[in-house]
Amino acid sequence: MSVAQTPESSVPAPAVVPPGSAETGSGTDVFARRTLIGGLVGGALVAALAGAALIAERPVPGIPTPGPVVEYGLPVVRVLLDLAAVAVIGLSLLPKLLGFDDPERTEPVLRRVRPAAVSAAWAWAVFAFVTVVFHTAELNPGAFPTPAAVASYVSNVGAGQGLVISGATALACAAVGLLAVRFGESVPAELRTGIALFGLLPIPVTGHAVNSVWHDPIMISMELHVMGATAWTGGLLATALFVAARRDLLAVALPKFSKLATVCLILVSVSGLISGLSTMALTPGVELPGALLGSEYGLLLVAKVVLACALVPLAAHIRFRLLPAIARRQATSMVAWAAAEVTVMGLAYGVAITLTRASLT
Amino acid sequence: MRRLLTVLVLAFAAVAGVVTPAQAHNVLIGSDPKDKATLSAAPERVTLEFDQPVRQGFTQVTVTGPGGARFDEGGPSVDRTKVSVALGAPGPAGEYVIGYRILSSDGHPVSGSLTFTTTTGGTGTGQPAAAAPAASPVGGSGQNDLSAQATEASQNAGAGMAVLWIVLALVLLGAATAVALRRGGRPAPTGPSPAAPGTTETPGTPGTAEASSPAGSSSQPADQ
Repeated sequence: MSVAQTPESSVPAPAVVPPGSAETGSGTDVFARRTLIGGLVGGALVAALAGAALIAERPVPGIPTPGPVVEYGLPVVRVLLDLAAVAVIGLSLLPKLLGFDDPERTEPVLRRVRPAAVSAAWAWAVFAFVTVVFHTAELNPGAFPTPAAVASYVSNVGAGQGLVISGATALACAAVGLLAVRFGESVPAELRTGIALFGLLPIPVTGHAVNSVWHDPIMISMELHVMGATAWTGGLLATALFVAARRDLLAVALPKFSKLATVCLILVSVSGLISGLSTMALTPGVELPGALLGSEYGLLLVAKVVLACALVPLAAHIRFRLLPAIARRQATSMVAWAAAEVTVMGLAYGVAITLTRASLT
Repeated sequence: MRRLLTVLVLAFAAVAGVVTPAQAHNVLIGSDPKDKATLSAAPERVTLEFDQPVRQGFTQVTVTGPGGARFDEGGPSVDRTKVSVALGAPGPAGEYVIGYRILSSDGHPVSGSLTFTTTTGGTGTGQPAAAAPAASPVGGSGQNDLSAQATEASQNAGAGMAVLWIVLALVLLGAATAVALRRGGRPAPTGPSPAAPGTTETPGTPGTAEASSPAGSSSQPADQ
């Protein structure tokens, strides 16, 4: 694209902003943003903390266990890491959803989206590093994690290496995002999304896997699960945050997002069931139907299935009830429904964090 | 869309070579003595067996006697899937608790406990429970240890320069971000805002979108 306007070169351009958009709706806009972000982050934190209480390590005689700071802090920073990645992916996808044909309309939105993506990428990197520190503290109960301990954790444990690679990729996202802030859409959105998705790939390494010939297929299933969930949540969040107030743009972006969301829904459900159930089935000492309700892992898996089922009617309402009206550029309650949906997604993320650490037996 | 798919495939290929694959969660599959076993005399060693090799570092195994005293001695040793610890002089008859916490091969700590009961006691008193926990960063065979130390040393040699470069890159990136967020798409970021100076410099909070223009604030979602 040749839309390489620098931010300051095309400053006011208020004429192209359609009436009845952000200009008048800024009050409700702020409220809508708080609801969306609060729903996602709040849901994630509630589920992560509840999960931490569920899977808290039982004290073992003679062995020190990590204190509550680590027990509850680790899932919190870990889920914030995921949400920052969700924001980066969603904001990077947004140019694709808006299309490149009408820069006069989309540029005012994208000029706000690009710096936000850079900030989220920074948050991703910072949370990745803090998560490594918390993991180190979890392994060395009672001792404050020294730099040497963190270094030895990273060099010894695959999860540490995965988090470091993820955090470094997040910094690369921030760098490319800065280029996009400067040079606009001449920095391809695919590149930004691709780098961010690459940063997601090491994330499943921090979770469970199984020791069997099915290891590789299950890992691929987990990768698809993480990427699908992130694109789905991020796309919805970015669309609702930045585009919902602009009916003309929403009429363009939401139909595209709906297609993406349908693919993601199928991908996330199938890959989630495959990786969750096969991980249980292939772990020694786990008997399948009974363990679903009898083990921590099984209960959390059931909770995720319930949350996924709860997403379907919310998503379907936006897709089948609201979308026709949105395509006609009518006012809808899309933001409220999106807020409900991202809240459920946040809960699912919190449960997912717990699931990566829960005991299988 | 096709470009996106190409990028994805490339990313997959790249990551396959970069990241060590996730390992599974270790599961305790056996022990000597068995859980809840009743023994006529206290054993000399306690051995726990897992379904996969146990990592060398971070392993802890303790044996707590009826009175709360500790009977394990010398720290645990790891031999592939087995972790064992020697027991001191046999203590009084009664229930003993084996506690363990190992670093699972997937990087998660796995902890648990087993019990066994002895019917004839000894004269040993064990150590008071307050004794330092016997973590074993030095467990395992000598060869592994040496090679681990060698790799660590070689890593440390290059670490100084690496840290310098990383810090430099971070500072550069951070400065660029600060500049970009300051501008935020508007040429006069601090000029027109009548708010208190303390609140104007927080680009992170979505609530301070006082610019109320589409190109105004640089909010950062999901960042709190």
